[in-house]
This record gives sequence, structure tokens and C-alpha cells, in this order.
Amino acid sequence: MLRFIVRRLLLLVPILVGLSILVFLWIRLLPGGPAEALLGERGTDAQEAAIERQYGLDKPIHVQYWRYVQTVAQGDFGDSIATRRPVVEELKQRFPATIELAVAAMLFSVLLGIPLGFIAAKRYGGPIDHASLILSLLGISIPIFFLAIILKYIFAVKLGWLPTVGRISVLIDLDHPTGFYVLDALLTGNLEAFWDTLKHLVLPAVALGSIPLAVVARITRAAVLDVLNEDYVRTARAKGVSPRLVDLRHVLRNALLPIATIIGLQTGLLLSGAVLTETVFAWPGLGTWLVGAIRVRDFPVLQGGILFVSIVFVLVNLAVDVMYAIINPRIRYS
Amino acid sequence: MEAPSGLWREAWQRLRRNPGAILGFGLVLTFVVVAIFAPLIAPFDPRAQDLSLLRGGCCPGPSTEHFFGVDGLGRDQFSRIVYGARYSLLIGVVAVAVGLSFGLVLGAIAGYLGGIVDSVVMRLMDIMLSIPGLLLAIGIVAALGTGLTQIMIAVGATQIPIFARLLRGSILAQRENDFVLAARSIGVPRRKILASHILPNAISPVIVQGTLALATAIIDVAGLGFLGLGPQDPSTPEWGTMLTGTTRYLQTAPHLAIIPGVAIVLSVLGFNLIGDGLREALDPKLRGRG
Repeated sequence: MLRFIVRRLLLLVPILVGLSILVFLWIRLLPGGPAEALLGERGTDAQEAAIERQYGLDKPIHVQYWRYVQTVAQGDFGDSIATRRPVVEELKQRFPATIELAVAAMLFSVLLGIPLGFIAAKRYGGPIDHASLILSLLGISIPIFFLAIILKYIFAVKLGWLPTVGRISVLIDLDHPTGFYVLDALLTGNLEAFWDTLKHLVLPAVALGSIPLAVVARITRAAVLDVLNEDYVRTARAKGVSPRLVDLRHVLRNALLPIATIIGLQTGLLLSGAVLTETVFAWPGLGTWLVGAIRVRDFPVLQGGILFVSIVFVLVNLAVDVMYAIINPRIRYS
Repeated sequence: MEAPSGLWREAWQRLRRNPGAILGFGLVLTFVVVAIFAPLIAPFDPRAQDLSLLRGGCCPGPSTEHFFGVDGLGRDQFSRIVYGARYSLLIGVVAVAVGLSFGLVLGAIAGYLGGIVDSVVMRLMDIMLSIPGLLLAIGIVAALGTGLTQIMIAVGATQIPIFARLLRGSILAQRENDFVLAARSIGVPRRKILASHILPNAISPVIVQGTLALATAIIDVAGLGFLGLGPQDPSTPEWGTMLTGTTRYLQTAPHLAIIPGVAIVLSVLGFNLIGDGLREALDPKLRGRG
């Protein structure tokens, strides 16, 4: 098991190196040249000279690259052109908001998707099965931002059941030991804030989770259908094992493999989709941060944001691989 | 030896019997017809403003003269939606063409040559895939600048690794096939094997993926347009761009947000239905059965 993890970690290295090279080259391609791109138009000559020295822009390209890696490895992504604060600081503020949203969306899609797919498979060809297929198809055909707008229109504007924007009502005071508002509310025993943050989380999480929901439901259905036809299920039934136990111990456990893979793959979609969902609900996470950055050409923010999110994505994929190997021991030897 | 034409004929018969695929085909056909005949269908110029219509404030909803209502600058929504079909069709096709052409070339090289070339190309694709789709597109737009062509290229680029991987996998699977080994053993030249045996069979997943990629491309470009990264001229009737800023008007003019969105959903649904139908029709496991 350990050898498997080490091997996977080693495979990570060329990808991270490649990623850093890609971002490094990307900075060089930005309009205006790297110094102007990183400082903005108001950069003074002295600042530009400092950047040139720091990034070694007058040196040969491999020296530049090495300097760049050193800078980034120390956590220095530069300062935001718009706010003049270190990008890392803003990242630390924005990241928990997006994570909270992504986790909520993932929970929504899994808690609803797996049972739905399971029932659809067991009642193959029935009305529930057809309904689930139609819902899945609609789920991947509706753009996330449009679903977000529709949900906002129905539940927030027309019915007024849920709030329209933000993470928490401005009237509520909450301490933030963790940065995850729902967790903070629980930790500080603030029940009013707890309900309020949950209410703010519902619509964005449902919108963001719609595509993962559709995919998880479909994959669960397909996986369960495959397993239901397997010999060991038939044997278990013939032995007289109760139907519920057959379902739990044999069917679901074995169907879990492809489902787990898909869930891991959905994280990329969640990170991408967060950008759109956050914009509709003015959610103060990485998404709105990056969109604002691109509007004002705040390249340090874009660089830091994209690099950081990609690294997170790569690590999550690694975690999924490891978890997959835990569930399915045969993978460890591949 | 089973000729490739048998595969296509069977697939076509299965497709015809699939109600979902027929619906999808109907939707896509409508979409294409509207796009092509836009000037004949649209009653107004999509960019023509008539501010006198806004005298009562923003924005009049559907009426007999303006079927889908009027937007914040007095432009007829119906005409904008109709012309928008042209943009969406163009966008989808160009983006997928970019992704398909580069992706297929890379995938074919990697799959057929194998060895170091394969490793290098696949590593490159892995690196591209390590950046979540929309963010990669945003990064490309940051470097290229905003605009319609730029977002088409950006979305196309995000699809390259998908097609590359697909074709490579397909070719690898075919290479070890019995009929390929048989052909090589009787001395059929490599190029002929590639053309007559490997490619026709490897092409079916590409066709399926291409159709689904069209659906994804339309959504992704609409998304980038919605974020304000697309055509910078707000009079351009692109469906995603038409949705920018409509959240402000949800209370007073919901039709501005709902109608372009529904248009996107219907066209994307059409391609997804066809893609799904094709996938089932071309599934080798079902060959010789349905």
C-alpha cells in the first residue's frame, strides 16, 4: 500500500513541474510583458526594475524558471494589482468559502444521486428509471449559471423563501475561527447564524451540484445494473440471504468502485462550476475573485488562483486514486 | 472479415428506433434551420434599438409584436434569439473543430507510434487536464484577450486532451485486435492497416464524443460569455452574453434571463440526446443483437 502511494506521489512530480512550466510560459505571453502584467500600468520604474531582478527577466530562460519556482515555492505569488495585498492573503480568505460551497454541492449530489441511481437500477424500465434518465439528461444540458438564475428567481425572488446573495445575512454577527461559516456557527454555538448560513448555502449548492447529481445518478444506475447481473449476486440470493443484505453487502459495495472514481472526477467540475455559481449569488469565494481579476487584468491573482486550484485538483485526484486502491486491492499492483 | 459498412448500417437502424435520438435530431434540426434562415425568420434587426418602447421602464415582456419581449435597450428579443442560434452553431462547430483536429492528430501519433512519443504526448495532456476546464479557458482568454474568436479557441483548446486520449485509447485497443494481427501476418502494409481496419473502428467513439463535445462547447462558451469574457460588443446576440447582468432584472423582467437560457438548454439537449443515441447505437457489445 505504501509503495503504491509513493509511486503515485512520484508520478505527481512531472505533472507539477509541467504545470509550473505552463504557468511560467503563460506569464511571458501576457499582453504587455511580464513586468507590466504583474504590476499593472501604474507600476513605477523602480518597481519594474525590482520585478525584473526578482524574476531575473534579463537572465537566460532556465535561470528565470528556477527563480520563478523558488518564489512560488515560498508561497509568494506576488501582490494583487487591484488591492495591493499579497495574493496569498486573499487566497486564504477566499478559499474556505469555495470549499464550503463545493463540499455542500458534493454532499447534495451524492446523498441524492446514489439512492436515485440505485432505485432506478432496481426498477429497471419502470417510471422511476425513465424519470431518472430524463433528469440526468436535463441536468447535464442546463448550464449551471442558468440553473442558478432560475433557482434564484423561483425561491428567492418570487417565493422569498431563501436569500438571494452572499454567505450570511449582514445583520448577523459571527466569529470565524475556521473560515467555514457553517462550522463556525456550530463551534460558537450561534444557532441563528447556523440556520442563516445554511439557508444561504442551499441554492448555490443545489445549482453547483446539479451536474454531479446527474452524473452520479447515471453512473450508480449503470454500475448497479452491471452488478445485479453478476453470478455472486445470484448465488447470494439462492443461498437465501435476505434481499436487503444482498443489496447492501454485495450490490452496493461492488457498485461503489466506479461511483467513487466518478466522484473524484467531479471535483474538477465543481471547481470550474463554482466560478459561475458564485457569480450569480455574489458568493465571496475563489470564483468571484478570479472573475473580478480577469476584468481588471489582475494577473498576479489569476496566476496564483489558477496555479493553486490546479494543485488542489491534482492532489484531490491523488486522494481519489489512493481511496480507490483501498477499496479495490487489485489496483495496488497495477 | 466484418466490413465496416455492416457496423454503420446496424447502427443507423438502431438509431432510428431510439425515441430520444429522434427528439434530439428534431431539436438540432430546428436549431440549424433557424440559424441558417435567421434573416428570413427574424422580424427585426437584432441590433436595432427602439428606446421609445421603454417609456414605462424596463422592460416590456412578450407581446404580439415582440414575441419574446424587449431588452434593456429596446431590442427585440425574438430576433436576437434567432440570430443567436447562428452564433451558437458557429461557436460549437469551431470550438469542436479546434479540439478535434489537434486532439486527433496528437492521439493518433501517440497511439500508433507508442513508446516515448506516447509518454510525452500523454504527459502533456495530463498537465492540460490538471487545470479544471473553465479555469484553463479563463487562463487562455487572459493571454489572448476577450472576444468571440478568443473564447472559441479557448474552449476548443480545453477539448484537445479529451479527443487525444480518446483516439489514443481506441487505437491501442484496435492494434491488438485479431484481424489486425491477421492482416499484418499476411504482409498488409502498416498504412493500409491503419486506414482500412483501425481507423474505421476507432472512429465511432470519436463520433459520439464529437457530438457530446458540441453540447459541452455551447455551454462552455455561453458560460464564458455570461462572465463577460466573450464578445465585448453587448449588441452581439450571443445567448450567453445576453444573460450577463440579467440577474439584476429578475424582479421586473424575468423573460430577459429565462428565454436565452431555455434556448441554450434546448439546443444542448438536442446534441446530448443524439450523442447518447449514437453511443448506444455504436456500442460493440450490442452488435449482432438489437
